[in-house]
Amino acid sequence: MANVELTNVRKTYPNGAEAVCGVDMQIEDGELIVFVGPSGCGKSTLLRMVAGLEKITSGDIKIDEQLINDVTPADRDVAMVFQNYALYPHMTVRGNMSYGLKNRGIDKASINKKVEEAAAMLRISDFLDRQPNQLSGGQRQRVAMGRAIVREPKVFLFDEPLSNLDAKLRVQMRIEIKRLQRKMKVTSVYVTHDQTEAMTLADRLAVINDGRVEQMGAPMELYNNPATLFVASFIGSPQINLLPVRFDGQHLISGDIKFIWDAKLPTDTDLMLGIRPDDLFQKDDGPLSLRVDLVEQHGADNLTYGGLLGADETDGHETEFCFKSGQDLLPDIDSQLNLGFDPTRALVFEKSSGDRLV
Amino acid sequence: MRRVNISGVAGDSLARQLIAHLILLLGAIFLLSPIILVVMSSSHTTLTLQQVGLQWGLGDHALQNYSAILNFEAGFTDQVTPLRMLANSLIVAIGVATLTTVLSLLTAYSIVFFRMKLAGLIFWLVLITLLFPLESRFVTSFQVTSTLGLINSHAGIILPTLAAALGTFFFRQFYLELSEELMEAATLDGAGPVRFLKDIILPLSVPRAGAIFVIAFMIGWNQYLWPLMISTDDSLYTLVRGIRLVGQESGPGMALIVITIFPPFMLLLIFQRWFFRTLSING
Repeated sequence: MANVELTNVRKTYPNGAEAVCGVDMQIEDGELIVFVGPSGCGKSTLLRMVAGLEKITSGDIKIDEQLINDVTPADRDVAMVFQNYALYPHMTVRGNMSYGLKNRGIDKASINKKVEEAAAMLRISDFLDRQPNQLSGGQRQRVAMGRAIVREPKVFLFDEPLSNLDAKLRVQMRIEIKRLQRKMKVTSVYVTHDQTEAMTLADRLAVINDGRVEQMGAPMELYNNPATLFVASFIGSPQINLLPVRFDGQHLISGDIKFIWDAKLPTDTDLMLGIRPDDLFQKDDGPLSLRVDLVEQHGADNLTYGGLLGADETDGHETEFCFKSGQDLLPDIDSQLNLGFDPTRALVFEKSSGDRLV
Repeated sequence: MRRVNISGVAGDSLARQLIAHLILLLGAIFLLSPIILVVMSSSHTTLTLQQVGLQWGLGDHALQNYSAILNFEAGFTDQVTPLRMLANSLIVAIGVATLTTVLSLLTAYSIVFFRMKLAGLIFWLVLITLLFPLESRFVTSFQVTSTLGLINSHAGIILPTLAAALGTFFFRQFYLELSEELMEAATLDGAGPVRFLKDIILPLSVPRAGAIFVIAFMIGWNQYLWPLMISTDDSLYTLVRGIRLVGQESGPGMALIVITIFPPFMLLLIFQRWFFRTLSING
């Protein structure tokens, strides 16, 4: 059990490429933190730096108030679950799980006890004498978790552990990881590019972009109050709808679309209006009208996609909008659908900087 | 191991199956006939062999030929005996096989798993040795061996053959297929480079090491020119050199060839499971 503290952590590769550029972060004891971001954003590098698998160029990493910059990975008392599990192919499940303990000189009896406890918790007790190639993907995943659990580390590190599983299993394991983490109360850092995984797992999540933490906070806080355009478009599924607009003092204008806007906004710059698909509603005299291209029926909900009529198309792209409705609304393809939205729930960003204005 | 069954594909016509088997049969005959020829010829008299030529049928002189070769003695003080030659061959072959396997495994291990700056360069340098077989560097190798004082020694026969890239290349390909995370997982599990080698890499390498061992054994066993150059002492005769001494076209010579084929053949039988698994696509 421990807190983790990152102070101005940087990673610059010899060729000058900056993978992580100055991350400050405070992870509390027992918290589950998720690093989320597009591939190549530096989230895995950051995790591997905490593990000690990647050297840090500058900055400090502390676990439990202890500076660990120069501590070897083995002595950091962290355990990691890898994306491809990295199980030792020639060892049994038991061998895989006990290897780390054996190397630390723990006696056989307590190793066995720990392994069996962890196996029971993960429901892999029946497979202890099998080898990894005799297990299914989900079972291997459990073994990888078991290998981390038996170590009883100060910090768990998960590097996209579910991305090799099929969709159904992923949801199942996601729930299980959350439960386990709750039960064991071990400080955990979890890396994923899947925003649903991030939202559902995290106590707090850190959205990472270009080696920087864009925003860090509770999932719903990031969803409702994104600090930047990047966070707004990364968090939330389906993605937030974005409409390029300008402000004339009273109205927001995009091409032929024009509606009254109360709040104060700069008039001299390009803006982006963000409206979540679930904040749109059908309204006959609504300011937005959609030419329906496609309706996805997800069961309880329908997602209607289409081009926004009259929107500013100066950048050559039609503005695509998504509208989430109940299963009853099933508009015809190519029909026109008028939509309204609640301005208090809409977000406005400055286009150039991506900063949130409203 | 998955095998592609040539004749078992659905919708395969009988004609295609027959052709496939015919091709395999021809290949088998082509490869086996020299061995059959030698085995058969070893049962004929030297006179028949020299006057009529090699024989396809079974003769009646087998017992005499084999007992002659087993009692063969040559050299100044009769140091060249079959047992002596067998011992020499075994020492050289096992030496070459063991050292090649160990060296190439360690080289590949260090090249792949430790991000050395010069790893790429080192690997290519090793690989280049494939372009310089021992025969092409006889003179230099002789000078080096003689400077080291290894002329007329087993070490002198063994060492120059070790600079073979084949094993390193094989192991390297295999280690590259293993995920990088394997070492990272082991690192987090508290295993340093030596323990990782011992606990993870060695057990995983056993089948491949077996295959390399067999190949290197054959290379060592079949050496002819180099031992001939580097050893003037009769007591260092190997079986392969002995064939020349006994006479290639004599009955006992044929018998010696058969005896010479035998040990590598046995080794191949013992290791065949590993050997073929390694050489097959799945590794």
